Amino acid sequence: MGPMVLWILLAFLTAGVAAVLLMPFARTAAATPADRAGDVEVYRDQLEELNRDRAQGLIGTQEAEYARAEIGRRLLAAAGAGSVSGTVAAKASRHRVATAIVTLLPPVLGLCLYLSLGNPGLPDQPLQARLANPGNNLALLVTKAERHLAQNPQDGAGWDLLAPIYLRSMRLGDAELAFRNAVRILGPSATRLTGLGETLVAASDGVVTDDARAAFEQAVKLDPDNPRARFYTGLGLEQAGRAPEAKDVFEKIAGESPSDAPWMPLVNEHIAKNGGQVAPKGAAGSDAAQAPGNPSSQDVAAAGQMSQGDRQQMIRGMVDSLAARLKEDPKNLDGWLRLVRSYAVLGNKAKAQEALKSGLTQFPAVGEDGKQLVALAQEMGLAAEGANP
Amino acid sequence: MTRKQKRLAVILGGVSFITVAVLLVMFAFSQSVAYFFMPADIAQTEIRPGTRIRLGGLVAEGSVKRGQGSTVSFTVTDGKGNVPVTYTGILPDLFREGQGVVTEGAFDASHAFVADSVLAKHDETYMPKDVADRLKKEGVWEDGKATAKGAGMPVAQGVVRQ
Amino acid sequence: MIIEIGHYALVLALATALIVSVMPMIGARRGDMAMMTLATTGSLALFALVLMSFGALTWAYVVSDFSVVNVWENSHSLMPLIYKFSGVWGNHEGSMMLWLLILCLFSAMVALFGRNLPETLKANVLAVQALIASAFLFFILLTSNPFLRLDPAPAEGQDLNPVLQDLGLAIHPPLLYLGYVGFSVCFSFAVAALIEGRIDAAWARWVRPWTLAAWTFLTAGIAMGSYWAYYELGWGGWWFWDPVENASFMPWLAGTALLHSALVMEKREALKIWTVLLAIITFSLSLLGTFLVRSGVLTSVHSFATDPTRGIFILCILAIFIGGAFTLFAWRAPSLKSGGLFAPISREGALVLNNLILTVATGTVLTGTLYPLVLETLTGEKISVGAPFFNMTFGLLMLPLLVAVPFGPLLAWKRGDLLGALQRLYLVAGLSLVAGLVFFYIYNGGPILSIFGLALGFWGMFGAVADLWYRGNFGKVKLGVAFRRLSGLPRSTFGTALAHFGLGVTVLGIFAATTFGTETVTEMKPGASVDAGGYTLTFDGMREAAGPNYTESRGHFTVKRGSVSVAETWSSKRLYTARRMPTTEAGILSFGASQLYVSLGDPMADGGIVVRIWWKPFILCIWGGALVMMFAGFVSLSDRRLRVGAPSRKAKAAKVVKPGLEAAE
Repeated sequence: MGPMVLWILLAFLTAGVAAVLLMPFARTAAATPADRAGDVEVYRDQLEELNRDRAQGLIGTQEAEYARAEIGRRLLAAAGAGSVSGTVAAKASRHRVATAIVTLLPPVLGLCLYLSLGNPGLPDQPLQARLANPGNNLALLVTKAERHLAQNPQDGAGWDLLAPIYLRSMRLGDAELAFRNAVRILGPSATRLTGLGETLVAASDGVVTDDARAAFEQAVKLDPDNPRARFYTGLGLEQAGRAPEAKDVFEKIAGESPSDAPWMPLVNEHIAKNGGQVAPKGAAGSDAAQAPGNPSSQDVAAAGQMSQGDRQQMIRGMVDSLAARLKEDPKNLDGWLRLVRSYAVLGNKAKAQEALKSGLTQFPAVGEDGKQLVALAQEMGLAAEGANP
Repeated sequence: MTRKQKRLAVILGGVSFITVAVLLVMFAFSQSVAYFFMPADIAQTEIRPGTRIRLGGLVAEGSVKRGQGSTVSFTVTDGKGNVPVTYTGILPDLFREGQGVVTEGAFDASHAFVADSVLAKHDETYMPKDVADRLKKEGVWEDGKATAKGAGMPVAQGVVRQ
Repeated sequence: MIIEIGHYALVLALATALIVSVMPMIGARRGDMAMMTLATTGSLALFALVLMSFGALTWAYVVSDFSVVNVWENSHSLMPLIYKFSGVWGNHEGSMMLWLLILCLFSAMVALFGRNLPETLKANVLAVQALIASAFLFFILLTSNPFLRLDPAPAEGQDLNPVLQDLGLAIHPPLLYLGYVGFSVCFSFAVAALIEGRIDAAWARWVRPWTLAAWTFLTAGIAMGSYWAYYELGWGGWWFWDPVENASFMPWLAGTALLHSALVMEKREALKIWTVLLAIITFSLSLLGTFLVRSGVLTSVHSFATDPTRGIFILCILAIFIGGAFTLFAWRAPSLKSGGLFAPISREGALVLNNLILTVATGTVLTGTLYPLVLETLTGEKISVGAPFFNMTFGLLMLPLLVAVPFGPLLAWKRGDLLGALQRLYLVAGLSLVAGLVFFYIYNGGPILSIFGLALGFWGMFGAVADLWYRGNFGKVKLGVAFRRLSGLPRSTFGTALAHFGLGVTVLGIFAATTFGTETVTEMKPGASVDAGGYTLTFDGMREAAGPNYTESRGHFTVKRGSVSVAETWSSKRLYTARRMPTTEAGILSFGASQLYVSLGDPMADGGIVVRIWWKPFILCIWGGALVMMFAGFVSLSDRRLRVGAPSRKAKAAKVVKPGLEAAE
């Protein structure tokens, strides 16, 4: 319904403007008033002013006389011209072209330009309304969480949740603040400290700074098996030029990790870099993904992979809440569409199928709305029961 | 005086005023215009001590040292040349190592550059125009980031603006 | 939907502006009443459409609709509401919208209040206005469209440049544009008059209120901008001769000249050609300023974004309007009859001197601003022209003008008596010199020559008072009579005196602040004290704090006079989180017209912090004088005579019959 209303309003606006512009032509041609009447008035006032100036001694007697003569001449001229400048009766025929232009130009130019520049289909999206119904838009959820935290800055769990998201979207300043707040409120944990360390490393362009090293070391103390924290301590040693020690750390990680761990290629590369022998622990070492490159970029990429779990978990939580909401309020086509899509994207085919079925009971496939669900199902490779007409 | 003479006097007065103004402008240009240099130019041209110039470039990494009170010394670089600068006063908010800067001042007798004003203007993406033009030409700098920083570029490239 | 309606309204405004820029001009040529009336209704419709469009954009800012690119780029949902409003024009696209809105506002005002104008003149003026509006509408729609959308919309905006997050942004640009763009009316009047080939005293009288209004707003806008830069940038300076500042200052100088030459033209119908030329020059300088600021030719806090196509577009607009107007001028000016005669020593002569000095001064500022650009284009050589150049040229050139100001109002029209004026001003000169000496003695220090600078300020102030004194004939007649005479004077006389008084106040402020001001840069630890301007500042320590969209560390200072605590202030370094951008918020304390200005530098390793403290005696006089000038402008605007020329319906019939009689009286 949105676009239709918009077009009606735009049509009214155009018609209104054209009507206002046509108004002067509709009136019966009034006589042109004597143009010079205003001039005459001005000169008369000047004469009065001259008298005032004279009285105040702002002009000499003789000069005043001259000035009076000058103004008088102009006054006469203006008055004479005024009576001459007559009325030009406008013929209606003359206005035919003018009215045609005035009627046509606004809609034609308006439409042409607007269609090429505007987005008539896009509704307004005030933030407040979007926040009230964020769906599974991660960015909106982050904003919502930010607003919540601005009100309740002592909510450690909130900071804990936001911090890794900030880090992934490279909002490093925010990430650092969030990690630090989480550590302050909830106490240190290996995950939080590692996250903080990674943030600091990313912020200083891949260099393990003193601050970052302290965080990683504390994390290792809390959880000696944390491979990420240990990896970064190793990296710190490597950057400090302490290759043998770095090699020890990397080799230890390699020894304790399963051979198919996603970080193995990277660890092996660093072992090699620090003069060690890569233990032939499976095919991972010769993986194509291990092309030599800038270490810091790969570190960060690896960090992103490692926290993939967090991300999935978060999205799953959001999707579940959407499902719960739909159970309460099933008359929500957008919701069903989103739910089906989310499950399908998460790889949960069974749940997707189930959601599709529930959606189709609310919006039968024969209807306009149901067709959208069916179309989505096909796109996602789901079987839509009873969809075929 | 006749009317003609009066008019002549007025015109002469006007013309002489304009002449004075033009001479003043030319004199002022010769006195107070500061030329813009980059560290690489300084090596090539002889600049007499005391001549006011503008020196622009990047603040070299790790070169900022605080001395007595509010005196600061740092090095301005363009990848080819380096010029050490001392400055007394408060540095602008956006003065950072690796960032563009324009300093104005003069060389003293011992050929050290003493700046009396340091500009690093008001935007985090701001690079003084003079500096940006030159650095772009020499490939040290691309829109947004200084490549002179070397390592760490991939991190910055991954910025997601959302 | 509101946004799309706003976008469409802008497109529709272009269609309307095109119609209004062509039809009324044809109508005026043919004497076709209907087509001329179209100018009035069309200008009002144009204003309504642009207002609607501007309103839609403002709405998008207020509700933080980040599906609008412009909003996303320049706003943040947590920003205080006032900055959401002012943020509308805190960026390139929005500020062009404000420019356009004010242009159309002036057109609408001419349409509404121009009932006393001859129909043909009014039609032509509004047509030229609409032509300017069409050019800028094209510019906005094609290169700087604020209504471009984003889909999907981001969740949070990128925040407004922190330097602009200040009340100053809410006030400074609208005021400045009201002045800047207001001169478009003078330009349109000049072009319309050239098209009609008729320029006379009546024309000057119609132009003058618009000139005065534009000048008044521009004065306020520049003063506001200067004060804003002073307290927001934390550099303690109030005028930097920055090209962008010059861009607004040049139209002011030319506009001041125009104000005075229009007076001569209105009263004596002399200087016709010159006044028309000046009207064109003034708005051309406004356009040039817009070009310099908006094209990205200059990089400064004002050039929000740089895009070469924009620069070329504005350059074309500039070339068409300025070139067109000057061509028209060259073609038509020789046919204009020259006006009344006057002697060199006369009120007219004094105003010519004013014009000469102001235009030459404008020329030096223009040279200093453009020379680096021209030189770089021609030779690739880069130079910077800074404050020393402008102080030397502009400063020196303005001195004779400041000396001459009190003489002007005392000289008679047509032929004045310089000796008489000198006699009347003897006492004033003596008093000013004494006041300067006393001032210098109290605040001892600084070069002896500054006594004359201070005296110059007093000279302007006392001269204005003397003008009113002699007008009322005080001292010669009874006090009551004198007051009655004074109150009988037209408002514009008071406006003149007030404006000249304000100029004196500003001059005094400039000389006092530069002569007696002190600057201390030092490292302070908590508990340390520094003396400045007779006060003792004690640093009490730092504290962390947070605002809605920033965090800050602020230092607390206590100010004592002798051993009595008189004031306290915070000075802080802020970090705006969204852009990771630091700013300095100076702590400013006013004592009378003088100020203490404290700004923080970097923290030192040993726990101290670098602090910069300025003592700025009488600095508020600089802006106070400008406020007086602005007030003077409003007083003058309220003068009855500026509304004369309206043939009130009743009087019209009688007047047209009677003029011959009146003239013969």
